[in-house]
Amino acid sequence: VTFHSLDFACFFLVTLLVYWQLPHRAQNLFLLVASYFFYGYVHPWFLILLLASTVVDYSAGVAMARWPERKRLLLGLSLASNLGLLGFFKYFNFFLDSVAAVAASAGVELSRPVLAIVLPVGISFYTFQSLTYTIGVYRGNVRARTDFIDLALFVGFFPPLVAGPIERAGHLLPQVEEARRFSWSWARHSLFLMLWGFFKKLVIADNVGVIANKVFALKDPGFEVLWAGVFAFGIQIYADFSAYSDIARGAAGWFGFRLMRNFDHPYLAASPTEFWRRWHISLSTWFRDYVYIPLGGSRGGRFAQARNVMLTFLVSGLWHGASWNFALWGAYHGLLLAVSRAIGPVRGLARVPPLLARAVQVVGMFILVNFGWLLFRETDTAYLLRHLTRSPFDSTPFQRQTGLYLFLLAGIYSVPLWIHSGWVAWRGEAPVRAHGGSFPSRRIRTLAFQAAVASLLVVSILALRSRTSLDFIYFQF
Amino acid sequence: MPIAGIVMAPPEGSPSISVDIPTRPALAVPGVTRRRAARRPVIELTAFVAILVLSPLGLRLVGRRDAGQEQPSYLPALEATRPRLGFLAEPIEQLRYLQPAYVFIGDSMLGTRIDAAHLSTLIDDQPVAVLAHPATGPAYWYLALKNNVVASGVKPKVVFVFFRDTQITDPMFRLTEEYRWAVDHVALNEEPILNAVVARHTQGPWFQLHGLVSRFYGADRAGQSLDRTIRELPARMVAGGGARRFVTDMNRLFNYENLRPVASADIEAGAGPIPDFDAVVGDSLLPEMIRLVQAGGLKLCLVRVQRRPLPDGRPPRQSPELRAYIRALERYVQAHGQVFRDDTGDPEMTLDMYEDGDHVARGARARYSEIFRRRVAFLFP
Repeated sequence: VTFHSLDFACFFLVTLLVYWQLPHRAQNLFLLVASYFFYGYVHPWFLILLLASTVVDYSAGVAMARWPERKRLLLGLSLASNLGLLGFFKYFNFFLDSVAAVAASAGVELSRPVLAIVLPVGISFYTFQSLTYTIGVYRGNVRARTDFIDLALFVGFFPPLVAGPIERAGHLLPQVEEARRFSWSWARHSLFLMLWGFFKKLVIADNVGVIANKVFALKDPGFEVLWAGVFAFGIQIYADFSAYSDIARGAAGWFGFRLMRNFDHPYLAASPTEFWRRWHISLSTWFRDYVYIPLGGSRGGRFAQARNVMLTFLVSGLWHGASWNFALWGAYHGLLLAVSRAIGPVRGLARVPPLLARAVQVVGMFILVNFGWLLFRETDTAYLLRHLTRSPFDSTPFQRQTGLYLFLLAGIYSVPLWIHSGWVAWRGEAPVRAHGGSFPSRRIRTLAFQAAVASLLVVSILALRSRTSLDFIYFQF
Repeated sequence: MPIAGIVMAPPEGSPSISVDIPTRPALAVPGVTRRRAARRPVIELTAFVAILVLSPLGLRLVGRRDAGQEQPSYLPALEATRPRLGFLAEPIEQLRYLQPAYVFIGDSMLGTRIDAAHLSTLIDDQPVAVLAHPATGPAYWYLALKNNVVASGVKPKVVFVFFRDTQITDPMFRLTEEYRWAVDHVALNEEPILNAVVARHTQGPWFQLHGLVSRFYGADRAGQSLDRTIRELPARMVAGGGARRFVTDMNRLFNYENLRPVASADIEAGAGPIPDFDAVVGDSLLPEMIRLVQAGGLKLCLVRVQRRPLPDGRPPRQSPELRAYIRALERYVQAHGQVFRDDTGDPEMTLDMYEDGDHVARGARARYSEIFRRRVAFLFP
């Protein structure tokens, strides 16, 4: 079931109504059944993988508590089974293709088996989420759970199941185990979060996504048209992915759960470090805690640190998909981080007023991030090489006009995103705050403001939603 | 402490700088009774939802701008009114002029396969007409048959309709949203049979809800108006008074010949669950297409094109459900005295003929036409 469908609206309302009629233990069981229904709605066989991952990690956790001396072996089993599943479904054909390509370049033709492997949606997300449990038990900062239903709900809870946020066992499991209380105030804000998510998806992401898709379908876009398409894709992927996260967080909020925030206005970042503190936070912190730090983190010399950063980002790139362009994208961001740490702050900016310096850095970082999006979006290496050698001096005036038109069109659709981020940068708080305060006049003012913004979102969704409905980008990962 | 310049999330519970869920429920206002305090959030939420439901009524005002250009739809089961493109009479005139012995109807699957001029030379220069419009579906094909071929009065020996897998029994395929503009060109002011078929598919909750919202708020109409405004604004900024011409030229940039071959292009168009043929044929346009050709003394040949072969050159996979569907379709067509041709598994239709997705390469159209001519030679006496 996808969030932007009538099926989901019906599923959500029915689940919600039944859920709040039940006592806590029954709530968990019911929510687990509902989550499995949600996930297996189109392809019921996907449930086998989800259940297998849950059973393995449940058993590993229980066994680690019982035989602590075998913790390492049990963790190895959990890692091997989860990453094995992920590896098979995500990288099997990629691996065979790569071997065949290498062999072909050496003049050897290999006939390889053809397997039509369907990537189960969400497998990259729930396997990583499930691993936070076994790794946590291994490290001793998460208690092994004996209640299978609770653990299964932690792994399979439907809002973040397909595209995150990737929750930590230490954060979500206690919420599963504690009794939850319905709050109208909370419900109102969860509704607002979902509306904002639907607006970002249906109005911004899907409209600018059409521009990006059209540009990347061209055989020979000029320099300006190409970069307008890249800009559109940069807007699309942020609006699309953060929309999913917001809808997931809002949906979870209605059931009394608090999911972690996944995006923090990433295009306001002034440096690579800051960008990764703001972009896909649940994944970047996962890689920090479970890959970067075990590799040695910031310990050791400059070379060791740079190596660890590069390795972490390479793996992070490949997590996104079985394709070399994702590896390239990861390597590019690793390089950006390593270089920015090596050269430190730009000295010339120290003489410039802080606000202007910050603005220059933000714009510069935005351009660097967009260059990365070209690597991310262009899956064909031959086209990528051609794009990288394009020159603005080869464009015709018509191509320049077209590029400017597409850039402006994407810019217009993205205005609400910039207003939202700009407000946060200026005021240091969200335009629509969670609380109205205790004073009635302030409370009513806040409520009226919230209602006005929410109305604007609903009106925009109804009138401006794209006529071309696109899937959430991160479903493919 | 930040870890070496890499990925640090704000700690849990840090001040929110985004639209966020509160970390605690609102406190009761001092002096207000407990009961009133308990009731207040319910009233607030109700008022909040009421505002959300009523505010989109303002869209009715936006949509009024285009009210003068609107016409009643030929598909009242699907929509009320909207600005429409006109019926194109040129194909009728061209058919009358050409007097074709063979007429082909379909979408890009047809357009990229049949080379009309070449096929004509293969069949002793008998005239061939191709009515191919990309991104169309059974509704368009049915209307092209009824309002172009039959209405022209020409008597071709055979009318071929090209399709993929199960599309022929899905009248809603490419009938919604932007696809309807193409259908406008072949639709008359009223299309009661098509509308009746569509009505049987729009009784579901999604269509009913969409129709209700659209009627109540005028959302579709307002959306089209706003969409046009948004697209015109940058065009005026870029091209000033020549905005309209600029947009026309720009659209040409995205024409088919400027697109790259993408192996996955349009692959999904024929995907989806496989229906039971006998259960869906009654609610499709196929019986009406057969009735039309029978009444006009024509012969219909349904051509199921082969989808893209597998990377190792084998024919595309077919599920048991799809095989059962195709068998039932073939039986049905033959039982009604018409012809069914299935390209799938044809040993001569190899992977190297394909360009992107299920499309055949331009250079292979002549080859396809030759193979096709041989396969259904009995239809080309």
